[in-house]
Amino acid sequence: MIVPTKKDHQSIAADLLNRAFESEEATKILTEKVIQRPLFLCPTSPPPADARHARQLAAKRAKEQRRTKSLKPKPLSATQRKKQGLYQIPKEGQKYKLFEPLHNLWLGYIREILGNEVYTGGEAAAAKLASADFHGAGVEVVRSGCVSRVGTKGIVVKDGKFAFEIVTVKNKVKVVPKEGTIFRVEVPVPVVTKTIEVAEEKEGEEKKQSKMVFELHGDQFQFRSADRATRKFRAHFSKTL
Amino acid sequence: MLSFQQPAFYQSSKCFVTHGVMGHVDPKQPPSKGKPWTALAGQDFVCTVDLIVPQEVFGIVQETLWKNEAIPEYKRVVMSLHDILTGDFFSNYIKQGNILMISEGRRGIDNVFALKNGHLTMFLDKEAYERAGLVGKPHGVKGKRGLKPRWIVEVDLNSSSMIKGKKGYDRLVYASKNAFGAPMTWLFCNGTPIVPDPDPLAVFSPTSCTSSPSITQDVDALVPILIPPTSTSEQISRDELEDFSSEVYEWLSLVRLHSPRILKSDKIDPYLSLYRVPGGSQPGRLCKIGWRGFFSPSWTRQTMIDLIIALPSKTWFSFSTTTFSKGLAGDNTECTFLRPPNSSGEYLLWEIKSHE
Repeated sequence: MIVPTKKDHQSIAADLLNRAFESEEATKILTEKVIQRPLFLCPTSPPPADARHARQLAAKRAKEQRRTKSLKPKPLSATQRKKQGLYQIPKEGQKYKLFEPLHNLWLGYIREILGNEVYTGGEAAAAKLASADFHGAGVEVVRSGCVSRVGTKGIVVKDGKFAFEIVTVKNKVKVVPKEGTIFRVEVPVPVVTKTIEVAEEKEGEEKKQSKMVFELHGDQFQFRSADRATRKFRAHFSKTL
Repeated sequence: MLSFQQPAFYQSSKCFVTHGVMGHVDPKQPPSKGKPWTALAGQDFVCTVDLIVPQEVFGIVQETLWKNEAIPEYKRVVMSLHDILTGDFFSNYIKQGNILMISEGRRGIDNVFALKNGHLTMFLDKEAYERAGLVGKPHGVKGKRGLKPRWIVEVDLNSSSMIKGKKGYDRLVYASKNAFGAPMTWLFCNGTPIVPDPDPLAVFSPTSCTSSPSITQDVDALVPILIPPTSTSEQISRDELEDFSSEVYEWLSLVRLHSPRILKSDKIDPYLSLYRVPGGSQPGRLCKIGWRGFFSPSWTRQTMIDLIIALPSKTWFSFSTTTFSKGLAGDNTECTFLRPPNSSGEYLLWEIKSHE
């Protein structure tokens, strides 16, 4: 029986490799791929990347998201809003007479805001007017890029972001876009003048009605009524004037 | 089919020359069809009228013009457009009468209003147009539409929809009150001799202006050959006509301008002027009569008919009418008529047309 001696003791692997490769290459392969081979402790974890498995996971995640999203309340679309008719004035309500008291309220409100500036006008009055609310104002379209709008006169029923809704004397609600249009607003203002004593008449105070007239440039005014209150208006160069 | 392009904005004025034969002019049936008459009637507001005749027939001319009708007069009045469109003035003069009115200003720069045959034409800038609210067409330079174009608004005041209460008329009156409220100076000419009584124009205290003719007599000038050259085939070739007509037109214009170059006694240094009266010219004596004012084309036509009937057919005469200038460049349209001597009905007509 041949007993392998210590000197010749090579592993079986080395022996086999020496048979196939040259000695240098054989030692290299032996060190890298046999002796220094990493041994996993748990060879099957993480689980192998399986396309089907990945697809299943993705579908599950998407379903979960959709469920949570459908639970959130969504805003109405434009068609749905129109169908609801929340902002439409009903036929019986489209009467000029109905809005006249509102107009008087508005006149009182404007006189109150402006105070003494009703008589003097100027920068301060302009700033106050720009941030004022215009629901119930009596406006007349004075200049417009679209010539058919000129002459429309009435009380503002809705002050939207881009247009005014105006009810005219003939009980029609007209939508007038603000772009390229100039509106004129008149506020009647009592003017008190003193008359000197004349023979038999006693000294009296005459009250005359005078008007404060101002023009609104629709181009610069395209903001919602609520947003205008906090806005600082700056003079912009107008391309159309 | 032929399709004509829209004209570019500025084109220089063009002169159209017509050489033809008129039919017999019957005083009872004034002609209105055919070339010299349509050209005269096609002008809108005539400013200057000139007549050049040989001195010998001046007496006949004087008799004709002074006998037929009064010296043409026109009025200058200050009123606003609102006054024209409402009240007695509107119902008497515009709905029933035949008037010509034109407002002060130049068409490319100011807001000008012109009224003829019941058609009101307004030449407006952008602001006035947007404030008026009337529908119109853009006018002038085509490109760069966004920057301040000008607009023309045309309204037919004679139509049945122009009465109070109708929407079109109300919008017009609204525009005249709000956009064109300021009174303007107008020139007014009544086409018919009938004046309604009481005169609605009297309220506005018009200043009446008569355009009496300015007469220059006994001009010793060199008169060129005024008979168009005829070649053997009895039809003038285009080149000959061009030469002849441009020379004669130049001479006629110099006479109208009272230029000393056409005088017999003129000796100007060729360094200063190269003009020579065309060859074959004979000395003669001329008389020039000019009217300057605001005339209607019907008056000019009638005057010419009277002259043709009155003057003996062997004398020559030249009659020219010039309109008010339109547009920025100040071009105007003009019609010059020449009847050559010893011709029966032959005439030469120069029409200068500006692009507007």
